[in-house]
Amino acid sequence: MKQGIMYEMEAFLLGFSSGTVCLAYCAPVLVPFLLGEGQGIRRNALLLAEFLLGRLTGYLIFAVFAWAVGLVLFPTLAWRQVIFGVAYVLLSVLLVLYGFFNLKNWCAGERAPHFLNRLTNKWPVRLPLTLGLLTGFNLCPPFLLALTRAANSIGILGSVRFFVFFFLGTAIYFLPMPFLGAFRSFRILRTVGRLACGIMGIYYFYLGIVMLHGGMRQL
Amino acid sequence: MRGIMTKLKSFFGYAWALAALPIVLATFIGLNTWAKGLAEVTGVKISPWYSGGEVERVVPHDGYKTTINKPVFQGLVRERKQGFVQLKWTPNNSQSLPLVIDEEIDLDGDGKMDFGVRLDTRTDEARLNPYSSNVVSVNQVLNLGEERAVRVKLTNPRRLPPTARSQP
Amino acid sequence: MNQGTPRSDTHSAGEATAKPRSDSGARPATGMGAGSDAPPSRRNLGKAILLSLPLLLLTAMMLMGQGGLPKNSLYLIPLIVTFLFTNTLFFLMVYTGRTDRYRAVFFVTMAVGFVITFIANLLEARGSMALSAANVVKGETPFCHMVIPMTLIPAALTRTIIFPGRILGGFADVATMFGIWIGATLTLGRGFCSWGCFFGGLEDGFSRIRRKPLVRKIGEKWTYLPYAVLVAIVVIAALTLSPTYCEWLCPFKTVTEFAAVTSFKVLVQTVMFVSLFAGLVVVLPILTKRRTQCGLFCPMGAFQSFTNKVNAFDVRIDSEKCTDCTRCVNVCPTFSMDDASVSRGGTRISCTKCGKCVDECPKGAISFHVKGTPIRSSTGKARMLFLYPGFVFLAVFGGGMIQGALYRILLLATTGHMIK
Repeated sequence: MKQGIMYEMEAFLLGFSSGTVCLAYCAPVLVPFLLGEGQGIRRNALLLAEFLLGRLTGYLIFAVFAWAVGLVLFPTLAWRQVIFGVAYVLLSVLLVLYGFFNLKNWCAGERAPHFLNRLTNKWPVRLPLTLGLLTGFNLCPPFLLALTRAANSIGILGSVRFFVFFFLGTAIYFLPMPFLGAFRSFRILRTVGRLACGIMGIYYFYLGIVMLHGGMRQL
Repeated sequence: MRGIMTKLKSFFGYAWALAALPIVLATFIGLNTWAKGLAEVTGVKISPWYSGGEVERVVPHDGYKTTINKPVFQGLVRERKQGFVQLKWTPNNSQSLPLVIDEEIDLDGDGKMDFGVRLDTRTDEARLNPYSSNVVSVNQVLNLGEERAVRVKLTNPRRLPPTARSQP
Repeated sequence: MNQGTPRSDTHSAGEATAKPRSDSGARPATGMGAGSDAPPSRRNLGKAILLSLPLLLLTAMMLMGQGGLPKNSLYLIPLIVTFLFTNTLFFLMVYTGRTDRYRAVFFVTMAVGFVITFIANLLEARGSMALSAANVVKGETPFCHMVIPMTLIPAALTRTIIFPGRILGGFADVATMFGIWIGATLTLGRGFCSWGCFFGGLEDGFSRIRRKPLVRKIGEKWTYLPYAVLVAIVVIAALTLSPTYCEWLCPFKTVTEFAAVTSFKVLVQTVMFVSLFAGLVVVLPILTKRRTQCGLFCPMGAFQSFTNKVNAFDVRIDSEKCTDCTRCVNVCPTFSMDDASVSRGGTRISCTKCGKCVDECPKGAISFHVKGTPIRSSTGKARMLFLYPGFVFLAVFGGGMIQGALYRILLLATTGHMIK
């Protein structure tokens, strides 16, 4: 599929709309960790950087995985357009439900509290990195759509680029964390992010229909 | 101290509020001046994606002239991989354009023609004959009343990979 | 929240005791802001006339412009009618102490006038409401204020305006509209949405059709949708270098101009904007009695909300008078009042200063306020300080539209055609 100029924007907005959910789940663990023993802004910033590095690593792993799946499973252009068109249409419906209504999603960080507790006790220094990695594995509709989009990329670099911008979209919410003063606005940001996601869902629905139509004509 | 601060805040509050009416009046009374000043200070232009870009050169012909614009590849931060070039044909005073215009265009001024375009001004159909690899297709044919314009799709030679750039 | 709850706001001493409303329904002619717990009260007639005189002079000056009185009756009659209409409304606003009712009359008339004038001008100039590619290339598209948020990032980075209009010259050129927007932002903030925007009047009108709303509850999260739309369109517009909202989402293309349907993409765009107009501008305002496009969708409104931070005026609640009846929350057309903002003694950032809550509060607890001044002092003065620039802006910006519409109506009556 052609990677138009909206490629980075799509990735960024998808990340922007899903990042708040991850923040909501990991904040109860990450925030006390950052707040612990009056660490100070500089120390908190370093811990946050480690956390974000963990997230980026997770996303890059997925980027390679997504590209490989797309390459192996759907080599011909016509079938790619049909399959990905269907995937876009289905995922866009999920995206709209996620964005405009309260569709729940699966987050590895939320589902593995015991594992996290053991990790905290054994390797507290590496917790931010692991947390970042786990919260990256968040099977919410924006992430699923990002996977699909990346799988449809031309070349591994396209897939990686998509996830880098996706990561940047999610990372925005974490930037104020070292200052830990902006919790009230997180709720508003989360709402705005999810609604923006719903809007993206409508766009992806249109994109899916166009792709499906193009693919069907070529078959 | 608190009393002084309260009075100061009130003073500035009322001052800003009182300024509202003169600002509204100045906005409308001096609107032409403000508008001109704003345009000059910012130096903004209409996006070339809409305006067709700046004029590169004008080629006179018998009865009409051809205006060739600069190729448009403008992106937000860097140039895009694809763009277009706009050509416009304008008849001279009280004349009409010929029924068919057949012209070859040298875009980059290197002496070699980059493409030929044949425009039927009755049907507003254009046919393109590309000589360069970065000339793709006719994007749009525009009927501007007495004038005609054509936008030709191009790929950006500055955004091609090095191997592709070296190919003829 | 009850009366007597301690507040950190300063308050003036020696407030007058409240006077009950008389049985006839006419309100006692106490001065504004005297601490009465009645709704906005009438002024003395002489005082009202005196306060209306400056606007009389200002509107005469602005409506006549530099050309003086026109000789052609087709132009003279609309000018006189608009002048009288404007000043009568302002006088009533000052005399009765009610803001929203009279503002809305002008606002709705202005919106209808705009639609009539704009469409007639288009048909005269182009013969059609449809926008062609040639119109785009020639820069013949009037610049609308809704585009402004989308143009800023590209303008900053590329020094170009991503809109097919003209920088200077022609009707509604870019520089002129930016000039008006800057003036409105400095003086009104988001008050522009209730005292300037010619689209808002359409919904304002539809929202007043029914006496009671059929749909009362709208989830709080939907009030953040305008900000989500703003984020999406600003980012998309910056990356595509085209005004995304205009192309895909603007409902008001239905009553202005739109691309001719020549492809599937344009067909989808047309279906979207017509549906949005029908839903958000017509049906939902009728059902909810609120301005749903403005409060739940408009990205320009969301953008303009931030300018409320630099504006001199806001709307505040006197906590000692407020009985937490939540009437203001239920009537606010743009969902700018909620329980949290009421308990904070004010509005949300999206307040358009329409004055409806001020008029509707049964205890007179809500008032216009000059920022930095004590909450309970001189509310009448604050109101007048806001009304002058607000109404002048409305009159000058909208007066031309009303005149234009009246001209077209007279043309229709005298020649049988609305366009020449």
